[in-house]
Amino acid sequence: MNRLIPLALLCAALCAAGKAQRSDYALKADFEERYRHIAARLDSASQTEEIDSLRGEIGTLEKEYAPHHEFLDKALYPLTFSESIARLRSLQVLTYDRVYLIRTQGVKLSELEARITSLTTRLDSLTAQRDQLFGELQESRKSLSTLREAVKRLTANLAAKDRLIFALVDTIFLPYGKDLHQVADAQKEAIGQRLEKANVLSRVYEIAADNVKFLDVTQLQGKDYGNLIEQYEAFNGRWTALKGKMTDVAATSAPLPTGTTGTGSSKTPVVRGGPREVRGATETAAAQAAHVDSVLAEWHAKLKSGFWGGLQKEFTQAGISVAPFNDGPSFSSSIRSYVSSLASSKQDPQPFVETLWRQKIDRDWREGLSRDAMLGKAEYASLDRLVGSSPGIPSTRRLSSISPGYSSSLPRSGSFSSGRKRNPRSLRQRRRAPQAAPGVYFSRGSA
Amino acid sequence: MTRSLTFCLATASLIVLSSCSSLKLERVDFGWPVESVVTVSNTNTIEEIRYSVSAGVAGLAQEEFQDSTALRGAKLRLLRSSEGYYFLTGPRFKHVYVFSPGPSSLALNKAIPVSESGLRNPALNQRPPYVELLDGDAVRTLLTSDDIVEAKK
Repeated sequence: MNRLIPLALLCAALCAAGKAQRSDYALKADFEERYRHIAARLDSASQTEEIDSLRGEIGTLEKEYAPHHEFLDKALYPLTFSESIARLRSLQVLTYDRVYLIRTQGVKLSELEARITSLTTRLDSLTAQRDQLFGELQESRKSLSTLREAVKRLTANLAAKDRLIFALVDTIFLPYGKDLHQVADAQKEAIGQRLEKANVLSRVYEIAADNVKFLDVTQLQGKDYGNLIEQYEAFNGRWTALKGKMTDVAATSAPLPTGTTGTGSSKTPVVRGGPREVRGATETAAAQAAHVDSVLAEWHAKLKSGFWGGLQKEFTQAGISVAPFNDGPSFSSSIRSYVSSLASSKQDPQPFVETLWRQKIDRDWREGLSRDAMLGKAEYASLDRLVGSSPGIPSTRRLSSISPGYSSSLPRSGSFSSGRKRNPRSLRQRRRAPQAAPGVYFSRGSA
Repeated sequence: MTRSLTFCLATASLIVLSSCSSLKLERVDFGWPVESVVTVSNTNTIEEIRYSVSAGVAGLAQEEFQDSTALRGAKLRLLRSSEGYYFLTGPRFKHVYVFSPGPSSLALNKAIPVSESGLRNPALNQRPPYVELLDGDAVRTLLTSDDIVEAKK
């Protein structure tokens, strides 16, 4: 009797349901098959519209099998029915986001590719223009005004190339964010190919070599150096950042092709966009970048020697005999010694203070000297006060009164700093305004 | 004295033995929610992954088909009832075999005859306290560990 009660209940339930008999196993297998089918379609989906429609199918699946959820909770393993549906929904959302991102990123990438092509073309036309300008520079040496005009156009050309090459590099790296360690190997390889296609290393080298050549063939004035130093520091900082990224990329991609450039005074081998030459295993991105480093070092050295040599020449031409100097500390020491000797020897300070320091050094060389890489603002202000307080100079004309904005930090060494600190332009303009000299003055940043 | 000692030892032994065998866990449900469909391998074994059960079925083939290799490649239906018996059958089977587990073995509890011509596409469902046998849409049979409770054709 006891046995018959559950039996009767079971039969009643089955009859009431009025359903065709079905194997539990078949029910479970059907659900799993439909689950796998939807998951597979999500996996291969490439259109957001398709993924949207699959969301509807997940809803239908859940609705159809909801009456069996108690059975499926036990039969499905290791997930329950509701966990399986939740996982499918999560997969749908993730797939939608992925496909959406790929589509939008694809649009962005094509825009960036177009920009890279445009920048490359502009760089090539600037290179052709540069060759013409160097030719003009050689021919126009006789006329000062023509010469200065040629120099102005050439520096504008070099500055434009400088800006463009790093705009090109930024465009290449832009889609991948700042942290290249998180970029997949395939993407790094793509970056490497773009860098190679755009001939980036070769172009960076050319710009640095052009600057070396420019320093070789141009007679610069003191006031030219401020911008030139700033230009070098900016370029060096950007190159250092690029080098790190390229090393990261090259760790995954094949070695870049190499060649030799004839531009500039340095015939250092550099990366070229021509046919590939496979180098040995020891050839690394760091070694290739060293070629650019070498021409940058040459640029640095020429800039420094030109600067200190030109400044020394000012003293010689003015008939002021100071101890030789070739960097900030030795210049500072030399001036301090000379001011001390003036005080002790009772010489007339006017030629030094008025003619040389005020008319030449403070007007033409102050901007260059104030760069941290040369003397530094604080040390220049200190020297300026020292010179202004020389015996025989009226206190109202003492020079220290016009340098309130200078900090009191210690003088820096003669090496270029990678960090850029802009001069307080308003202060500079305020000081220059009444003394603005007529004639040619060019700025590297005025392209 | 000797008699008394023997009596005491016997009493103590009985107490210890009875206390050991008295522990029994109740309301155990061994039932699998759904049958497993297992394929007989070339070595005449079946393996159920989820519950980690494997067994040689050459003896079963011999019993059902008088050929120990008759089941190679066949898909058998295996279900453990809530009581803990293993129900096993398959296509062309005339019986549902009910086994009870023992040390490294499954002992035949009952071979329940279910079809004179052999099952075509059998399936086992868990319907506590019974096990339901289906064969296509035509046959539905409720089984216990040793008998048919109800058969509907």
